[in-house]
Amino acid sequence: MGYLRRWAARQFTTRVIVLMPVGIAINIVLGSTVQQALKLPIYLDSIGTILVGVLAGPLAGALTGILANLIWGYLLPAPIGTSTIGPFAITAGVIGLLAGFWGRLGLFRPRRAGGASIVAAAIAAILVGALALYTYARAYASPDVFASITGFGATDFDRSRIFFLVIMVLYVALVGTALYLRRDVGAVFAIGAGLVTGIVAAVVSAPIASIVFGGVTGSGTDALVAAFRSGGDSLYQATLKQGLLSDPLDKMITSFVVFFILGSLSRRFVARFPNGEKALGHEVETGTAEAAKG
Amino acid sequence: MFQASLAAGRGLPEYVTRRPGGFYRSVNPSTKLAIAALEVVAAFAVPGWPVPIAILALVVATAVAARRLRGLLMVALAASPIVGSILLINLFLLPGASDPIVRIGPLAPTWSGLWFGLQTVLRLFAFSAAIALVYLTTAIDDLLADLARRGLGRRAVFVVGAAVQMVPRTVERAAEIVDAQRARGLDTEGRFWRRARGVLPLAAPVVFGALTEVEERTMALEARAFSAPGRPTLLRVPADRAVDRVLRWAAILALVAVIGVRVAGRLG
Amino acid sequence: MAIELSAVRYRYAGASKAALGSVDLRVEPGRVLGIVGPNESGKSTLCLVAGGLAPRVIGGRLEGSVRIDGADTAAMRSHELAQRCGLLFQNAAAQLSGTTGTVFEEVAFGPCNLGLAVADVIERVWWALRTVGVEDLAPRHPARLSGGQAQLVALASVLALRPQYLILDEPTSELDPAGTALVADALARVARETGAGILLVEHKTDVLARIADEVVVLAEGSVALQGTAAAVLADPRLAELGVEPPARVRLEREVRASGLEWPAALAEAIE
Repeated sequence: MGYLRRWAARQFTTRVIVLMPVGIAINIVLGSTVQQALKLPIYLDSIGTILVGVLAGPLAGALTGILANLIWGYLLPAPIGTSTIGPFAITAGVIGLLAGFWGRLGLFRPRRAGGASIVAAAIAAILVGALALYTYARAYASPDVFASITGFGATDFDRSRIFFLVIMVLYVALVGTALYLRRDVGAVFAIGAGLVTGIVAAVVSAPIASIVFGGVTGSGTDALVAAFRSGGDSLYQATLKQGLLSDPLDKMITSFVVFFILGSLSRRFVARFPNGEKALGHEVETGTAEAAKG
Repeated sequence: MFQASLAAGRGLPEYVTRRPGGFYRSVNPSTKLAIAALEVVAAFAVPGWPVPIAILALVVATAVAARRLRGLLMVALAASPIVGSILLINLFLLPGASDPIVRIGPLAPTWSGLWFGLQTVLRLFAFSAAIALVYLTTAIDDLLADLARRGLGRRAVFVVGAAVQMVPRTVERAAEIVDAQRARGLDTEGRFWRRARGVLPLAAPVVFGALTEVEERTMALEARAFSAPGRPTLLRVPADRAVDRVLRWAAILALVAVIGVRVAGRLG
Repeated sequence: MAIELSAVRYRYAGASKAALGSVDLRVEPGRVLGIVGPNESGKSTLCLVAGGLAPRVIGGRLEGSVRIDGADTAAMRSHELAQRCGLLFQNAAAQLSGTTGTVFEEVAFGPCNLGLAVADVIERVWWALRTVGVEDLAPRHPARLSGGQAQLVALASVLALRPQYLILDEPTSELDPAGTALVADALARVARETGAGILLVEHKTDVLARIADEVVVLAEGSVALQGTAAAVLADPRLAELGVEPPARVRLEREVRASGLEWPAALAEAIE
C-alpha cells in the first residue's frame, strides 16, 4: 500500500499539478473555439489529455481528461459550457490512461530519419494496413461466425470489412501526411497509437451515449446514428458504429498534433516530467548553448 | 507593535469574505451539489412523466427566486441542437413503433416516437437545469473552499481553480490566433481537406502559448510553500447552517433510496 | 548569517558543459548584492542554485555547497527553503497562482499554504503589502494588473513568508521605465525596513547603481569582477566583459574624454 502511495506521489509532482490545468484548458478551448472555427467532424477535445498522459503518466492523463469533462460540463457557463459533455468523462479518463501507457512505451518518441527510412516507413504502414485488413477479412470463416462472435448482424460482415478498409486508408493517409510534414518516422507509431485509442474510445462511449442521451449528441454525427438505426440496428449498435467512424479519425489527428508538439518542445522542459525521459528516449543532449541558458 | 495589532484587528476585508446573498445563493455549496445529484439521478432513474416535470418545475422556480432565470434559458438554448436531434430521431425512427401520426411517402412519424422523444428531452432538460442551477448560484471559489473544508486536498483545489480561471484567458488567446492565422491565409470556410490542414496551425500555437508559463509557475508555487505538509489555512469558508446540513443529508438519503429502489426493481 | 556559496559548480541535466564553474559568493542580511553579466553567463542558473531550486526541482548536478545561515539547502524541504529564501523571476504573470480573485488572497497564498492561523495570515499580508507599497491594490484582481504592479504583488507574495533573503532574477526585464523604478524603489525599501539580504540579477546597471551595495560580474559561469557597486560599475573592463555600464558612468567617461572636468556636484545631482 505504501508503495502505491509513493508511486502516486511521484506521479503528481508540483510540475504535473501545474500542467494539468493547462491540459484541461487546452481540451476545452480547442474543443470549442477552434472546433467551431474549422467545423470539422472531429471533436479535437483530447489534445490536452493525451499531452498530459504522455508527459506525466497514466494517472495524471486520466484525471486531466475526467476533470476537463466535468469542468466543461458542470462548472463553466454557456456558451462554452455544454452539459452533454459531462458523462463522457469516463471515456476521457480512458483516453488519458492509454496515453500514459503509450508514452511509457515510447510511442510518441521522435525518430528523425533520412529519406530512405521515410519511404520505408510509408511502405511499412501500407503493408501493415493491408495485412491487418486481410487478416480481418479472413478471421471469420463466414458471416454467421462473425455474427455469433461479435453480436452484430450477419449482413454487417461485409460492411465491417469496408469500414476496416476505410480506417486503414485513413491511417495510411494520415501517416503519409505526417511523414511529409515532418520527416519523422515516429509519426507511424504515434498515429497508430491514436488509432487504437480511437477504437477503444468508441467502444467505451457507445453505452454512455445510448444510455444517457438515447444515442444522440447534438452534432452532425446524429444523422449517422439515425441512418444506422433505420437500417435495423439497435441503439447500442448504431452508436457504436457512429463512434467507430468518428473516434479513430479524431484520435489519430489528435495524436499527430500531440506528437508534433512534443517534438517541438525543448528537451529540458520535457525531461523534467515523470514520463518525460521515456517520452524522449535516452539520447543525451550535447548542445551547450541550451544548457547554459538560465 | 502597534501596526501589528492594528492589522490583526482589521480582520478579513469585505471583498475577501464576500458572503453571497440572495435566495438559494446563500445555501451551502455542498448542499446544492447533493440536491443537484439527487435531481439528476431521479430524472433518469424514475420512469414516467411526473418526476422529471416536478424536478424541472422546482429548478425553474428556484432559478426565478434566485434571479437566475436568464442563465437557465441560455442553457436551454445551448441544448437546442441536441433537443432537436432527439425529437427528430425518435419521432421517425423509434424501433418497433407502429402508430404513425401521418404518412408522407417513406416517412412515418409515430406517436410512440413523439412521446418517447419528448420524455427524453424532458429528462435532459431536468438534468441540465439541475446542474446549471448549481453553478449559476455558486461562486467557484466558494465551492472549492467548501470542498477543501471537507477534506479536498490543496492540489485538487489548485487544479480545478486554476483550470477555471485559465479557460477564458485561453479562449481569448485562441480567438486572436484564429484571426492571425486567417489573416495569413488559413482557410476556415473552404472544402474539407483545406479546413483539415488548419488543425495544426491553430492548435499548435494555442498549446505552446499555454505551456510557456508551466516552468516558472512550478518554481513560483514551490517558492510559496505549495508543498508544505498538513492542511492549508482557509481564509473564507461558506457557512454551513443547520438547515444546510438537514437539506444535505435529506438529499443524500433520498439519493441512496432512489438508487436502491431502482436497482431492486431491476432485480426483483 | 548569510547565504554562502562555496566552490559551487553546476551542470544542467544532459549538458556536457558546466553552467557554473567554481563560484564563491556571500549574500549578507541588509545588503543588496547585484549580479551582472552577458547572456548565457550563468546568472539565472546562479539564482536557481542559490535559491535551492537546482538541483532539487530541475535536476542536474551540483558540486560544492550552498548554505543559508549555516544550514545546507540540499537538506531542507522546499517549504522550509521558501521561508528562508524568497525567489522572484522575470515573468510576473507566471508567478501568480492563477487561482485567486484578489491581490489580498494572492499574497495570502503562501502563508495559507503553511497552515498559519488566520490572524497571522492577515497580519503578514498587510505587512507585506505595506512594505512593498501596494496596499491600495489589495482588492484588485491579480490578472488585471500592469506588469510592474504584478511584479510588486509577486514580491509581496514572497515576502509574506518572511524570508531572510531574497533572490531576484531580472525582475524588471519585462517592465517599462516606470515599472522598473517602482520595483527598484520597493526593493530598496525592503532591504532597509526588513533587513533582508538581496541577491539581484539585473541587466540594467542603472538599477544596480541606485540600490546595490556590492556588484559581482559573472562571465562564462565564473566570477570575473567583484567589489563595491561604485567601484565595479566604474571599472573600465565592464565593456569587454559584455556589460553596459550605467548611464552616469558612460556620461562621466565621455565628459572626461573630451577634456572637460567632471565636478562631484554634477555626479550627485544625477543620482
